Amino acid sequence: MTWELFVFLFLASAALLSAIWVISAKEIVHSVIGLVTCFIAIGCLFMMLNAEFVAIIQFLVYVGAVTIVILFGIMLTKREIMGGEGR
Amino acid sequence: MNLFEFCYGILHWLVDLVNNLWYWLGDFLPWYFGDFFTAVGDFAASDGHLTFMTILLESVVIIVVALINVLNFLWIFRKLSGRILDFYGPYYVGYRIGGWLQNLADGMKLFIKEIIVPTKADRLGFLLAPVIFVASSLVILSVIPLSVNFGLSTNESGEYVSAGALFALAAFSIAPFAILLAGWSSNNKYTLIGGMRSAAQMMSYEIPLILCAASVFLLAGSFNFVDIVDAQHDVWFLIPLFIGFVVFLICLIAEVEIIPFDLPEAEAELVEGWTTEYGGMRFGLFYMTTAVRSYAGGALATAFFLGGWQGPSFIPDEIWFLIKAYIVYTVFMWLTWSVPRVRIDQMLGLGWKRLLPLAMLNLLIAAALKSGGWF
Repeated sequence: MTWELFVFLFLASAALLSAIWVISAKEIVHSVIGLVTCFIAIGCLFMMLNAEFVAIIQFLVYVGAVTIVILFGIMLTKREIMGGEGR
Repeated sequence: MNLFEFCYGILHWLVDLVNNLWYWLGDFLPWYFGDFFTAVGDFAASDGHLTFMTILLESVVIIVVALINVLNFLWIFRKLSGRILDFYGPYYVGYRIGGWLQNLADGMKLFIKEIIVPTKADRLGFLLAPVIFVASSLVILSVIPLSVNFGLSTNESGEYVSAGALFALAAFSIAPFAILLAGWSSNNKYTLIGGMRSAAQMMSYEIPLILCAASVFLLAGSFNFVDIVDAQHDVWFLIPLFIGFVVFLICLIAEVEIIPFDLPEAEAELVEGWTTEYGGMRFGLFYMTTAVRSYAGGALATAFFLGGWQGPSFIPDEIWFLIKAYIVYTVFMWLTWSVPRVRIDQMLGLGWKRLLPLAMLNLLIAAALKSGGWF
């Protein structure tokens, strides 16, 4: 097994597993962590294809804008762990 | 000789030295051990292994240089705040070098403190947030060269990665995610408010920041740090793009969250902002990483607007670059201890109603200069 194949398999499995985690996680912010992992793995895959610019735009646009997703996730969902404590 | 060749030479010398001893040791053993010894020695001397270890050594060199600068920056931060606010600043630890060792002592203190995770905190996010924040800030340093010969992101022949400057900005934009994650997972009102403010602030100040960088890219015609600096050989971009420089500095202050814009960790309103629940070395890492980001920001402003490592040649290129980065940081500190903190609505108003149009105007000037044929 060459190094390139090893790195490709690592990144591809990371992207797939984190994509599965996005839809199966109970907490919405955990889904967002999975989404970021997935995007970063895909960006690294672009980098392996010598498409540096696409990879960097992937980081800049998708990973950067995921913050907005997390904001909506916090604002639009009911949060159990904050409630009830009154602190 | 560039950094890669230097590190490669050191490792090659070291491996030769160890291998002499290793093969000599293998001669005393029975043949089956001897063969194993020879195989290990041959692997250690192989080109692939040496290249891999060279890249690791280069990363260590870059990070150590950055961390020494960070210690200096923190010292300047405390000493200058003392001078401006009329007290001495750090004084006793390292008496003869102006209290320089105080930061090391503080770091040592943070190291031996207990790490506490709040019971009701979200463990995954709480433990992951410092990792993301530190990693995304240190990776900025990998693409910033201190001179043509002192940079990490090259190939073997010393050519730099073509979109390095864009990558630095991309890595800058990951931090709000880590901050919001830290603020949310601490399960505390104040950290959550701090994280929300940080997200709003960083997302809104990133747009003028990247627009100003875009005008630089337009004039230089490249995303490559070396090309950008070479394009400033005759005139620094500070002069044609002065508006852009000012906007860029203001946006950098907002990005690294130092005092006029440190709303996410406003001590008077939110206890310690989004770092409230963090203790021990995790807090120390956040503190250190903020300084790393100031260093990276100063380096970006230097490379984009202040001519990078260009200057009279009696001082080495790397030192020129650092001198300019230190000057940028000192200006930050001067501003920090001279102006009060702004309110959140004032800050967002400034970002969207003033800086964004100015950045667009700056981009227009850059386009006019480019199409007029001056650059």
